[in-house]
Amino acid sequence: MTMPAFRLERPRSLADAVSILATHGPDAMILAGGTDVVPNLQMKLFSPRVLVDIKPLAKNAQLASIDWSPANGLRIGALATLTSICESPLIREKFPVLAAAVATIAGPLQRNMGTVGGNLCLETRCQWYNQSDFWRKSLGGCLKKDGPICHVAPGGKFCWAAWSGDSAPALLTLDAEIEITGPQGARRLPLAQFYKNDGMDRIALGRDELLTAVHVPARMAGRRGNYHKLRVRNSIDYPLAGVAVSMHVDSRGICRDARLALTAVNPAPLLVKEACEWLAGQPASPELIDRVAQQAIRTAKPLTTSGSTPVYRRDMVRVFTRRALEESWRSADGK
Amino acid sequence: MAQHSIIGKPLAMIESGAKVTGLGKYADDLSVPGMLIGRILHSPHAHAVIRSIDSSAAEALPGVKAVATGKDAPRPYGILPIGHDECVFTKDKARYIGDNVAAVAATSAEIAEQALDLLRVDYEVLPAWFDPLLSTEAAEHWLFADKPRNIEKEYHHNFGSVDEGFAQAAFVREQRYFAGEVNHAAMEPHSTLAIWEPDGRLTVHSSTQVPYYLHRTLAEVLEMPMSQIRVIKPLIGGGFGGKSEVIPIEIAAGVLAKKAKRPVKITYTREEVFLAHRGRPITVVDMKVGLTRDGKITAVAARVVQDGGAYCGYGPVTVLYSGALLGALYDIPNVRYDGFRVLTNKPACGAMRGHGTVNVRFAFESMLDDLAREAGLDPAEVRRRNLLKAPCITVNGLRVTSYGLPECIEKVVERSGWNAKRGKLPYGKGIGIACSHYVSGAANPIIRSNIPHTTVHIKIDRDAAVTVFTGASEIGQGSDTMHVQIAAEILGVRPARIKLVAADTELTPIDLGSYSSRVTFMAGNACLEAAKNMRAQILEAIAAKYKMDPALLDIRDDNVISLDDSRLHIAFDDAIATALEFRGALVAKGTYAPPEEARGGKHKGAGVGPSPSYSYSAQTVEVSVDTETGQVRVEKIIAAHDCGRALNPLTVEGQVEGSVYMGLGQALQEEMVWDNGRLMNPSLLEYKIATTLETPEIESIIVESIDPEGPFGAKEAGEGSLAATIPAVANAIYDAVGVRINSLPITPEKVLAALRVGASFSSPSSSCSSRGSDGGAK
Amino acid sequence: MSKQLIKLRVNGEQYELAVPPNKLLLDVLREDLGLTGTKRGCDDSSCGACSVLVDGVPMLACVALAASYQDCELTTVEGLGTLDALHPVQSSWGDAGGAQCGFCTSGFLISTKALLDRNPHPSLDEIREALSANLCRCTGYMQIYESVKLAIERAAAAKAAGAGS
Ligand SMILES: Cc1cc2nc3c(=O)[nH]c(=O)nc-3n(C[C@H](O)[C@H](O)[C@H](O)COP(=O)(O)OP(=O)(O)OC[C@H]3O[C@@H](n4cnc5c(N)ncnc54)[C@H](O)[C@@H]3O)c2cc1C
Repeated sequence: MTMPAFRLERPRSLADAVSILATHGPDAMILAGGTDVVPNLQMKLFSPRVLVDIKPLAKNAQLASIDWSPANGLRIGALATLTSICESPLIREKFPVLAAAVATIAGPLQRNMGTVGGNLCLETRCQWYNQSDFWRKSLGGCLKKDGPICHVAPGGKFCWAAWSGDSAPALLTLDAEIEITGPQGARRLPLAQFYKNDGMDRIALGRDELLTAVHVPARMAGRRGNYHKLRVRNSIDYPLAGVAVSMHVDSRGICRDARLALTAVNPAPLLVKEACEWLAGQPASPELIDRVAQQAIRTAKPLTTSGSTPVYRRDMVRVFTRRALEESWRSADGK
Repeated sequence: MAQHSIIGKPLAMIESGAKVTGLGKYADDLSVPGMLIGRILHSPHAHAVIRSIDSSAAEALPGVKAVATGKDAPRPYGILPIGHDECVFTKDKARYIGDNVAAVAATSAEIAEQALDLLRVDYEVLPAWFDPLLSTEAAEHWLFADKPRNIEKEYHHNFGSVDEGFAQAAFVREQRYFAGEVNHAAMEPHSTLAIWEPDGRLTVHSSTQVPYYLHRTLAEVLEMPMSQIRVIKPLIGGGFGGKSEVIPIEIAAGVLAKKAKRPVKITYTREEVFLAHRGRPITVVDMKVGLTRDGKITAVAARVVQDGGAYCGYGPVTVLYSGALLGALYDIPNVRYDGFRVLTNKPACGAMRGHGTVNVRFAFESMLDDLAREAGLDPAEVRRRNLLKAPCITVNGLRVTSYGLPECIEKVVERSGWNAKRGKLPYGKGIGIACSHYVSGAANPIIRSNIPHTTVHIKIDRDAAVTVFTGASEIGQGSDTMHVQIAAEILGVRPARIKLVAADTELTPIDLGSYSSRVTFMAGNACLEAAKNMRAQILEAIAAKYKMDPALLDIRDDNVISLDDSRLHIAFDDAIATALEFRGALVAKGTYAPPEEARGGKHKGAGVGPSPSYSYSAQTVEVSVDTETGQVRVEKIIAAHDCGRALNPLTVEGQVEGSVYMGLGQALQEEMVWDNGRLMNPSLLEYKIATTLETPEIESIIVESIDPEGPFGAKEAGEGSLAATIPAVANAIYDAVGVRINSLPITPEKVLAALRVGASFSSPSSSCSSRGSDGGAK
Repeated sequence: MSKQLIKLRVNGEQYELAVPPNKLLLDVLREDLGLTGTKRGCDDSSCGACSVLVDGVPMLACVALAASYQDCELTTVEGLGTLDALHPVQSSWGDAGGAQCGFCTSGFLISTKALLDRNPHPSLDEIREALSANLCRCTGYMQIYESVKLAIERAAAAKAAGAGS
């Protein structure tokens, strides 16, 4: 497979990067680690005129660093590699759900290249879309690319390509905010508002903007949490479903505050909002856990976007939710 | 037998230096001045008449040097003489998504790909057949007009009397089993460099397991004499059967090179590897086995339907192996086999590691486990009670010369702690056992003739280097090293003195290739004979010069020595000088052809299955099953393999472990998923070959039955272990959670579904393509 | 597409090359520099056969645009050792059976070298984890672990010998 033709820009400053993006608008595409962009380019899924390689920015600014202070919480530069995140002793200790989720992304080689910014802006995935040019043409394309119909839900005009990133659900359970830099400077946005739950138009990011950092509030530090991922192989594979939980449990075993988020079962990573309400103030009980798990299933709307069936993926959302909650409670007890 | 100095000792493969430094060359690593890049146009339709192809725009594109279509190479070919049904570019109609329609050679890959986009093909789309069980009910639109109801081939074998056998049985079971389609997924995508030489000859460097068949087929299709074509096999990045048939790319490169009069290289994308395929077919097995109260198998009857895809390929051989090996592992008096090879509009299946035996073995060994349980017997004991009494001839005429299966079973039972574990592990954990076997090469060649199956030449000149010429193909299994070991052992020299020239049709004698695990047995025997012949020539010369009895001379550690007390001691180099004076030239040959007695019975299809010798394997697998997710974790596999004699224990263990690994993949996670003839997972991301993290500890145990005819007693090691792994996994799952999964791969979803209904799970029997509407125009 | 001049440092050598901006590091290594030890086994960055070291960190050359890796120290399998002085991972791979067909070998050697540089005495679990993005279709991985263990022993022995002299 060959690569499509494009011009490569390698801006040395954030300002340059923003201005290049502003100049080229929809013709430009950001390249970070490239682990999503480059395979997709080879499949001719997009044809940017200009590829803006932002890796050189890792040298200046704080675009690749991981910083923590009790006052400002955690800040991860968008170009921080996945390896640097899951191997960070700080993140492992204070934000275990994030370390756990990131450690499941692809395999070690991809994690050495992939960045958290790229992971949060990942293209949505579908078995009718992530295929070669020849394959898609032989099918006549799909709604997301070059075609009139969605093969997942042929009747509708909605693209169900699944959000298939692993860090986003973890960060959602940590009330993360992202820092977006554009011509007007930097702004912050709750991560939950970044995702549009539309397979074709996944994130709320202007064409002249880039994601520059992720922030996690200090109050989320030290929470228990874990991540359960459904996949065929224990390395390399994208999630077929994923459940992230973070929880603050007091010394009496009462859940003070909890978040539950799902991935790979909708076009966006989604918080199960009810979980937060229902769990707060409660001790662990099988009935409660079961109720939350049932709610998680209602939030998950997997369709046949991947090799596993929707029925099984929903089933696993339930099992994983229960396990994740039980484990969080248990590990809190142990403290 | 004498102590061996090289045979039986672990030896690093001779080409490992080339591999670990990155300096060794595989086909795609080659490039020559003026080389063009080729690309192939594949059909986007599963079944369509090709009305016309307009290549004018593609030809006009600057940089395009040749465009080839069906009319450039109209001669059909195929690996079997009875199956010449493929053209390198299909002329009349396309028969699967991915079928080869045309090809382009250009000065760059980008230009070649652009040119493909400019080829205008006018297709008339036809209804297509995807499900092998429905395909045979097709009233029209057959893939080939002369193959009614899309049946490529059917065979019906009947040995003994199965009806009487079943009447004698206390327990009879009948069950349908299903196996999904799997691909070899060798790490190296196929690649061919075809060079049009200035003198009008063609040199082809190709990732082939069988240079000889490629050589023949190139000559046929290009309509050139074989003498004008040279095929060279560079390093091969794994074959497993996927490079044993002639693959379209290999001919396409030749056609383009001939047309452009330039070197042309084509390398498949991973997707094209899956479309070229030739892997293990979707198989539906209806199995029936009878067992007496004391555990004797009385009869087996199997009806097997294999979804062969769009072309014949090795198909008839696959379906015959399934039948021939079915009843030959154990002592079974009555065997009935009905095998069907069916055509569908999908890529052609072919030979894959364990060719033909694997899916049927899965069915049989699963069923034997159930029968043992029904009879209240230990599954290991049931296997012991049905052993052959070798040497013997099986009911279907296969000659068994050595039989290490009893020892294999004992070894794994003991090593695994079987007796303490079986049926006694806590719920969720289980252990299973299964056995398998395989041929050490086919006793009858595909193309019938009385020419030896393999020939090895050895020459020694004044440099005193021993040059061994063999047509056998190193594909990562240790073929080259095996030759060096045998030659060095017999000639009493260090391995470093042996130079190996292999798999180059201009220099090396013909060998029928690296498939059906034939190389060690056949080429090994030829090499042994050649080396003995050479040794005799050298010793004869020395004996003549020193007036000694050659029987009292030996060569050891690079010296000719005497075995009496004359203390003769001649350095090998000096001995060679003497021998050259005496004989003028030192050349020797060895050949191998299987003995007449090994060639099987006389019934129709009896040619497939006979082998000069068979390997045996027994395995135990331990699993734990997560009953909420259905996920199976394999904890440990112990595989005992009877390879006759391990010429090189290092490579034997590697072969056994690799076979187990591949079987495990098919057991649990590998499957080519189809949707209306469209392969949904043509990539290494979505076709799930196991990583380090799912692969359990595999312990290999070598069992040496010392075959009377194998070189130093050796027989095959590279395939026989694969088939046992799959049923051993299924049996372990049963032991763990009490559900029987009759459908491969055993996905968590199937396990969970079975756990919920608390019974066995088979895939819906009406349809065996995962998705698709047959006969529909798509 | 017009080419641009890029500078690459590979195996300690400095190269200046004209390549189009869309050219992958993998193709530049293989086609422009003749370093064909780095392999392509897939088209979706999932097999690990193209692994190279970028400033000592193993990465996939099939994901990397060559022009983006100009300021780095690149190491391919050809840079690990020489024929007369193989790196311990290279010699052990041959001696313990880690390489059957050899096609995945360079990728495994790169990942292993990086692992042992960081962690000279990894546990089996750490080895499995570090090699989990490199696929091998031949070995079932057992002889690969044996090869890693042998490399560890050899590296330790070489170090001890070096310290002794
Ligand atoms: C074999 C394989 C398996 C994988 N498995 C997983 C998996 O299991 N889980 C998972 O989550 N991911 C997986 N991935 C995808 C990928 O490796 C990770 O998601 C990685 O984090 C992507 O980061 P990157 O820097 O490489 O992104 P890139 O490929 O560079 O970019 C990804 C997307 O984000 C955009 N982008 C990148 N950086 C920014 C920024 N700072 N601001 C705005 N937009 C930006 C790009 O334009 C592009 O659209 C896999 C990839 C491969 C090749």
